[in-house]
Amino acid sequence: MEDQRTPLPDVADEPRVGVYICHCGGNISDHVDVEALCEKAEKIPGVAVARRNVFMCSDPGQELIMEDIRSGKVNRVVVASCSPSLHESTFRNALERAGANPYVYEHANIREQVSWVHHGDPATEKALKLISAAAAKARLLTPLEPLRVDARRRATVIGAGIAGLRAAVDLARRGLEVVLLEKTPFAGGRVASLDRLAPTGEAASEAILSLARQVMEHPGISFHSCARVVGFDGYVGNFSLEVEVEPPAPEDAAVLSALKSEGEGGPRFVPSRGAVLGDPPAAQKRFRVDTGVVVLATGFQPYEPRKGEYGYGEMPEVVTLPQFIEALRDADADGSFLTLGGRPIRSVAMIHCVGSRQIPGVHEEDASGHLNEYCSRTCCSATLFAANQVRTRYPGTRVFEFYRDIRAYGRGQEELYQEAAHNRVLFFRFEPEDPPRVERADGPTGTPLVVRVKDTLTFGEEVQVPADLVVLAVGMEPAGIQDLVKMMKLPVGADRFLLEVHPKLRPVELATTGMLLAGTCQAPMDVTEACNAASAAASKASALLAKGCVQLDPFVAEVDWDKCRGTGACVEACLGDGAIERVDVVVDGETVRRAQVVSALCLGCGACVAVCPTGAIQVKGSTLAQFEAMVDAIASDPAA
Amino acid sequence: MAFVDLSFSEELERFGVSTTLDCFNCGTCAAICPLIYEHFPRRMVRYAQIGARDRILENGVELWRCLHCGLCTQTCPREADPGELILGLRRYVLHHWRRDGHVPS
Repeated sequence: MEDQRTPLPDVADEPRVGVYICHCGGNISDHVDVEALCEKAEKIPGVAVARRNVFMCSDPGQELIMEDIRSGKVNRVVVASCSPSLHESTFRNALERAGANPYVYEHANIREQVSWVHHGDPATEKALKLISAAAAKARLLTPLEPLRVDARRRATVIGAGIAGLRAAVDLARRGLEVVLLEKTPFAGGRVASLDRLAPTGEAASEAILSLARQVMEHPGISFHSCARVVGFDGYVGNFSLEVEVEPPAPEDAAVLSALKSEGEGGPRFVPSRGAVLGDPPAAQKRFRVDTGVVVLATGFQPYEPRKGEYGYGEMPEVVTLPQFIEALRDADADGSFLTLGGRPIRSVAMIHCVGSRQIPGVHEEDASGHLNEYCSRTCCSATLFAANQVRTRYPGTRVFEFYRDIRAYGRGQEELYQEAAHNRVLFFRFEPEDPPRVERADGPTGTPLVVRVKDTLTFGEEVQVPADLVVLAVGMEPAGIQDLVKMMKLPVGADRFLLEVHPKLRPVELATTGMLLAGTCQAPMDVTEACNAASAAASKASALLAKGCVQLDPFVAEVDWDKCRGTGACVEACLGDGAIERVDVVVDGETVRRAQVVSALCLGCGACVAVCPTGAIQVKGSTLAQFEAMVDAIASDPAA
Repeated sequence: MAFVDLSFSEELERFGVSTTLDCFNCGTCAAICPLIYEHFPRRMVRYAQIGARDRILENGVELWRCLHCGLCTQTCPREADPGELILGLRRYVLHHWRRDGHVPS
């Protein structure tokens, strides 16, 4: 990589700072007097113009900035708006589109740091201080060139569930080499346990097999089953994964060898387990995968009800929806009554929102103190779909559903609800404080269980439903990937799912460039949504790697060799592995040691700056002089 | 309340009502009904759904307040025909009233 020296600021180019203040549609302007702020900002030294807009991030807002740049009115830009993690790149891009260097830009956060936490005059005063500081820094900003690093045109997908398979196929079709890693011997993930997919009724096995065939046939995809990621380092374009494979567990090996004796061919499907794509590893082995991007498709696990929750674990007639779907798949195709384990089921009671939409103070936390406060989104439709299957296949079996709200969103799903009514499914609605109670029946019902509920549809009266089987519509929890989270420093939300940069603006990207999300590792999704996310991740990945190189922000350390004495203090202080090294250079015919930065590995943290005895090292875009100017601006009275 | 009895909706078919379980209890019918009467006609629809025969017979007089204006049927989002259900319940009540001793004293 070539060392990009900072071009010297053009002395003739007197800094003319433009300050652009965002109302954020009232988020800011309801608490900050933006009009007064704008007037005062215009008087800050070096500020050529101050403007405001309802939404600076909107097209007209960005156009204000671009017009001032094009007309030469400003040559440095400060936007005072939301957190820079949200829109800094938006405004840098606007600068670039207007023909300016994207790094003569400074961001002032007057939403999260001001209007959301302060009110009235103190809010306006603090906003002015932050803008003054940003303007003071902006005056000293110099154009920078982004770093370019070579990128390996290979993508690694972790997890071969439906999302991982979809991502792998899409990536390969875009001409990238793909490594697909799966921890089990089977591809298909949780979808393999489903029978038919709501709302269309398509066979889950077919959805998996059609993708598995493409994975098998595409020469650009290598699939590794029984694989775990045990080591990780690098950066976008140049990640390195340590992968360990080992032979399958005995019970899986038995399934696989039974399958093998049936003959060879394309991928084979084993119900509840998934598709088999080739032979599993015969011996334990470790290998390294160098990759340009990593797509996380690690999936979910169903909520496991507490012992005694709706009788689960205490009464054998209480099962979860995934267990019921498997039992239904394996039951006789039709008949008057659904029969499970030789027992005729005349009445099925299905309870919604088990392990989802939990409320502090109402629901009990799990062993680690967590509540699943989110809606798992898929269980309403899955429950309705299963109810319809029971009613159409076994007309003698009655179905009752107990819900808090029915959320059958999305195409063809509200129809499932209506269809259930036509199929004579009877619904009851309960409040979270008064959930249904599953009890042993001691009356003349002829069923082993009775479900009692304070039914809001019957004006809060308690009703009793006899039941042979109780089905708990359990929600989704993220799969247990704590090891990956720790190793890869993955951001995790309060709900414990992996957290994207922004739900709308960057919905499948993690903050670490080159790390992408596909499917239910991010949030509860149905199969369609998981595949959409996987395709989005694949297109983001191919956009990153298409050029064979990636651009990185140039905020890395830089050594002034005229000042460097080669003490090595920076090398010791460096937090990035190998980001600074000492090299021998010839200065005035004499060989001396000097520090040198490996830009692609530098974190830009500034630890080296703090220890350098001669002030020879600086982080580009955040120099000491720029910081001092900011501190001076904050310390002085901006109103004066 | 006694046990829910889904067979009642089947029994009602003999009285010309086939849409008992189509209702999803949104309450539009009760909101649009010109009778200022609590939860009419949804209360009756719900009793029919859960098979609360006694409640229907006990409150049978309510059924004759209906003017059969048709507004509930017109506005029902599920096309569950609440107006027709009320007429069907009248037929059911007539059939069972005297015989089961539901004549008001």
